[in-house]
Amino acid sequence: MRFGPAFASAALGLALGLASLPGVAATLATALGLPAGAPLGLERLVGLGRAHMVLALSGFALAGGLGLGLGLLAARAGARLRGTVDALATAAQAAPPVVVIGLALPILGFGAAPTLLALALYGLMPVTRATADALATVPPEVRGAAEAMGLTPAQVFWRVDLPLALPPILAALRVVMVTAVSTAAIGALAGAPTLGTPIVVGLQNQNGLSLLQGTAAVAALAFLADALVQAAGALLRR
Amino acid sequence: MVACLASLAFAALFSAKWPAAGLGGSARRGDASNGEMTRRLLPLCAAGLVAAALAGLPLLTFAPNRLVPGDPVAAGWPGLGPAALALAAGWLTSGARPGRALPLAALIAALAGLGVLGLMVGEGAARLLAGRPAAARASLGAGAWLAGFAFLLLSAEAARAIPGRAGRPLALAGGLALAGFAGWSGLFDAVSLAVEYRARAGAVQAAVAQHLGLSAGALGLALLVSAPLALLLLRGGWPARGVEAVLNGVQVVPALALFAALVSVLSGVLAWLPSLRALGLAAIGPTPAVLGTAAYVALPLVQSLAAGLASPDPAVLESARALGLTRLQVLLRVRLRLGAPLLLGGLRVATVQSIGLSTLGGLVGAGGLGAVVFDGMAQFAPDLILLGAIPVIALSLAADRGLALLGPREARAARVSA
Repeated sequence: MRFGPAFASAALGLALGLASLPGVAATLATALGLPAGAPLGLERLVGLGRAHMVLALSGFALAGGLGLGLGLLAARAGARLRGTVDALATAAQAAPPVVVIGLALPILGFGAAPTLLALALYGLMPVTRATADALATVPPEVRGAAEAMGLTPAQVFWRVDLPLALPPILAALRVVMVTAVSTAAIGALAGAPTLGTPIVVGLQNQNGLSLLQGTAAVAALAFLADALVQAAGALLRR
Repeated sequence: MVACLASLAFAALFSAKWPAAGLGGSARRGDASNGEMTRRLLPLCAAGLVAAALAGLPLLTFAPNRLVPGDPVAAGWPGLGPAALALAAGWLTSGARPGRALPLAALIAALAGLGVLGLMVGEGAARLLAGRPAAARASLGAGAWLAGFAFLLLSAEAARAIPGRAGRPLALAGGLALAGFAGWSGLFDAVSLAVEYRARAGAVQAAVAQHLGLSAGALGLALLVSAPLALLLLRGGWPARGVEAVLNGVQVVPALALFAALVSVLSGVLAWLPSLRALGLAAIGPTPAVLGTAAYVALPLVQSLAAGLASPDPAVLESARALGLTRLQVLLRVRLRLGAPLLLGGLRVATVQSIGLSTLGGLVGAGGLGAVVFDGMAQFAPDLILLGAIPVIALSLAADRGLALLGPREARAARVSA
């Protein structure tokens, strides 16, 4: 039951992945009456998928890792810094990833860099805020009891603070993973080769088949990545 | 990115969360001393940032036309003026203890520094363009953006160090006065962003109106759908689980894919039922943008509405029924009113999200500010990108702050009526 949501996401992801294959997508496109165009070959699809995943995972690692570290620092520094983190988190959400990519384009140029920046900016603050807030909600009495039992500060952190604060942190990491896959797709606009590329090309050239393939493949990746994070979370919470 | 940084500064300056964070703070000694250290370090870091930005980064860039990258123009010796004001403000803020006049002096120094920076930028741009062809452009350099951002941060820190609640209104009034003076005197008229805006004022204003229409339409549609869905959720059982699963599943689908899927599906549906076109539906245009955005923002709305409706104490509901209220009256007068603060929180999230997501509408032919951003990306024209991006960020922040202002009053009213 604990792995149920992860299985559901994985199954949906696999089904969508099947739908993105050239033959299946062609049948679907004819059924929908879309303006058919040249299909996306299997090798190209797999190559784009790999590039997409590399971009999304590095963004996830960047935002998640930095966010966890900053969150720990913010929690240590006390309530005042948490106010700053809250304000920054709200402000960072005000600029959607597309806009950040657009703004970064003149500075960083075409390619993967603007997408990574958008991911870091958009994903960083939710993780930081969730980590800081979650650590702050650990009751001081519990921590005091652990200290009284003779645990060292490091032990208190690993055995008391972290397990108690884990669920909100995992939820934030899941959001960042989904955001990472989604933002990597938008990165196609800045010239990064991702599964968003066939979507953008399909929209521009009225190629319904390429549009459909890209759509199904991006959604498939998102659900598979989501399944991965959910399964990892279920394992950690055991 | 620079605009984004500036917006961060604005949010920090005007965020309503500061007093709450201070009051709710933990009383542990370790926390207090660490907080004290940040309080002292942050203004000094910001002041150092101003000095470094003005010394090491270009204040302006000059280009013969709007498309080629410009040559950097450094601030030079005049940059010492704002840098000195920044250091003074930082030193006064970090050394200030509550109850002294120092933070007020720090705020004045920070705002004066911002004003001097503005003068340098405006005058510098005008001087660069004097006697050049009309196509020449003087744009804000990285140093100007960064120093401006750091000055806003400094003003915020100084305002927060002022005892009582006078700080934020004072800083806000000072900032507005500066902005008003700049607008009235035409100080920035020569800066490329203002030039680009003058060339496209009508198009940008139309895009803002379109964008607001897209976001409002999506929000309205999502609200209409979320009312019955929230009631389903409130009732529980398998329909509730199904609704939750679908709404959560939509969140996983990347926005670009959902918008593209809607284009495909809509064109399929319209091919089957051409009569729908008479209703104004089309596969390309506002229809997929509004539908897609509404699908995303339905989750926060449904969840907050369901949580709000479920929030009243069972005893309150019991007494309402004992008073003879019908089920509908209980729903509207008790559950909805007591749950209003929670719903407002969800509405705030949904509004910010819908303003952001509508940007992608530019890709599916819905227009709006996204179209301006994408035009700028296609032409590689930074000023055009900024013209689309700044209003998006400003609209999101304004919506967030505006709805947050409604919050506490709503909560108070609910408590009184309870």
